[in-house]
Amino acid sequence: MNLLLEVLQAIIFPGVLFVIAMGFVFDWLDRKTSARMQGRIGPKIAGPSGILQPLADFLKLLFKEEIIPSHADKVIFLFAPALYFLAPLLGMLFIPMIAPTPIAGFEFDILAILFFLAYAALVVAILSYSSASSWTTIASGRLVLQYVSYEIPMVLSIITAAIFSKSLSVEGIVAAQNDLWNIVAMPIAFAVYIIALMAELEKPPFDIPSAKTEIVAGWLTEFSGRSLSFLKLTKEVSYVFGSALAVSLFLGGPLGPVLNIGVPTWVLYFVYFMIKLLAVGFLVFVLKTALARIKIGQATELFWKILTPLSLAQLALVIILIEGGILVAA
Amino acid sequence: MSDEPKRKVESAGLVEYSVENLVPFGPIHPALKEPEYFKLILEGEKIVQVIPRIGYVHRGLEKAAESRPWVQNMYMFERTCGICSFVHSLCYGQAVEELTMYEVPKRAKFIRLIIAEMERIHSHLLWVGLMGHWAGFETLFMWVWRDREVVLDLVEAISGNRVHKSMNAIAGVRRDMPENMEDRIVERMKFLADRARYYRDVIDSEETMLERTENIGGLSADLAEKLCAVGPMARYVGLQHDVRLNDPYAAYDEVPFDIVTRKEGDVLALLRLRLDEMIASTNMVSYAVKHLPEGPIRVKIPPIIPAGEHASHCEAPRGEIFYYVKSNGGRTPERVKSRQPTMANLPTALEILKGQTIADVPIVLTAIDPCFGCMDRMSFLDIESNRQWTWSGEQLRQYGINYYFPERLKKK
Repeated sequence: MNLLLEVLQAIIFPGVLFVIAMGFVFDWLDRKTSARMQGRIGPKIAGPSGILQPLADFLKLLFKEEIIPSHADKVIFLFAPALYFLAPLLGMLFIPMIAPTPIAGFEFDILAILFFLAYAALVVAILSYSSASSWTTIASGRLVLQYVSYEIPMVLSIITAAIFSKSLSVEGIVAAQNDLWNIVAMPIAFAVYIIALMAELEKPPFDIPSAKTEIVAGWLTEFSGRSLSFLKLTKEVSYVFGSALAVSLFLGGPLGPVLNIGVPTWVLYFVYFMIKLLAVGFLVFVLKTALARIKIGQATELFWKILTPLSLAQLALVIILIEGGILVAA
Repeated sequence: MSDEPKRKVESAGLVEYSVENLVPFGPIHPALKEPEYFKLILEGEKIVQVIPRIGYVHRGLEKAAESRPWVQNMYMFERTCGICSFVHSLCYGQAVEELTMYEVPKRAKFIRLIIAEMERIHSHLLWVGLMGHWAGFETLFMWVWRDREVVLDLVEAISGNRVHKSMNAIAGVRRDMPENMEDRIVERMKFLADRARYYRDVIDSEETMLERTENIGGLSADLAEKLCAVGPMARYVGLQHDVRLNDPYAAYDEVPFDIVTRKEGDVLALLRLRLDEMIASTNMVSYAVKHLPEGPIRVKIPPIIPAGEHASHCEAPRGEIFYYVKSNGGRTPERVKSRQPTMANLPTALEILKGQTIADVPIVLTAIDPCFGCMDRMSFLDIESNRQWTWSGEQLRQYGINYYFPERLKKK
């Protein structure tokens, strides 16, 4: 019975299906927020306030014809989207949402999450290269360059949280934030993580590998039909995953004040988690709408010359504070 | 050039580069709203050579003009461009007026100035929005285009149309200004000037936008003069090229205005220059509306224009446009030749594209405010023997028949 419950949790809530649904909701919120900021209305036909529009787009694309370029590497071209889809979905299983423990956590699962981040970038680079057109080739070059730029600051800020909490598991990091959220102890690491997250999600100002006015649709150019719908969905789920990771690492995950108002504890945990998740998502929506795209050289410069030293300084600062006994993790 | 790619293949008389270094830009591309083809020869992300291939939207306007009455041509040339439509009919009209020797009433001249300047405001706003779009700054695009509606509404209230105003007549304008519009126009112009100042602040303070536009598309004043740059593309390097100032037409000699020039010569300078020009235009419109003289708005002219030839030029939002009109004393023109600013600015654009990265192509190409549909004309050129020739209408017709019905050719 317990095992069945765990399987159901992994598949339905808060597992795979819920995460996919959250991907659609994030897409809708993204479109709605930027539309409002730009003086537009945004999606409004499908469902109340157009909340079903991302789902409708997804379904419509599913039934479109899939065109495979004659010179593409067909095996990779067809299977890489599925491999890419796995990365954020599996990653989400390590994020605690309705309890302080995740569905599938283990002692060193931060390393697994780092692996999924690297894996997703690698798969995208490969699938971009496999479609073998001028645009995707340029895009994959840009993508790899952007990845080697943002990875180091991103990993450094994740490691900072891990060192501060003296744990290499998400569960341990969340538990250590019972008294004090990591964002208070390490605001720079949080900021660096959010900027690196925007680069990972290819949101403006880092939408360089998919800059539509320069290289058509970037690495998505040659994809159509089912592949395209899943790639787009994966982007949104990555959005959820990245934000959820930020919530777990810096904002105390599902932890919050314990209230006795007669609802089950998991509901409380879930509500806290969702509020934080949407707050992080909203931060990214707003930043993305307010900024213009920069060039790949400028992005590399930003990450290597400014953010990497900053995150190293933050790491050193946290170690000094812990060693000096000024800040004590729970 | 030592940094040229090594592998070359010979093709059609043009020295072309191997396919690996070539990225096609257009004719259908999200950064181009009109079809035009640029072959970009790359080294990594850097552009070393640009080969344009123009003529995708050739419409045969000049030839069509030869079979239409003088007045009809006015409305046809207005359709040369969907953005700066008024100034085309104005320029053509002025050339014809010179042939007829009729004096345009003063009130008509003022109304022409008002519409032309409103068109400049709307064209510059459109361009600033597009710049935001190409730079990946969608919010600027949306906001600027929302404000553009203000001036379009005014144009509609005056002329009845948003884009193709159809206001011009030969020796006058067709519609008078609506009554009691003065306050509304002045108030809206003040609003637009405020918005232009606000967008200048945004562009000056937004780091991501500065990084994309500062020191991009650099050009020296000497080179600009050598490449015959016109309009904003000449003024952004400090040249005082403005037909409104150098050879005033309409009421430009009676309405005071500041010519805006900048020294920096980069895309950022173009953004600032066009927004400043917009502010100057709002002041001109307000002044003209307040000092609108009384009187008739047009003179009736006979349908036959006396023989002769005349060339007229005007300052369109994009730069100087030219119309050459020749009459043999009939009901239709013998020859009309028009030269659009995009044609004049294309060599400049190709020059400043060299050395930029591919990420800058949309920005630099948009910087000249291209309008390929206006620009495309046809001529025959054999690159190998460097020979140019023209075809008569009959030859062109025969070519068309042979092209579509080759079997008829075989029978003969």
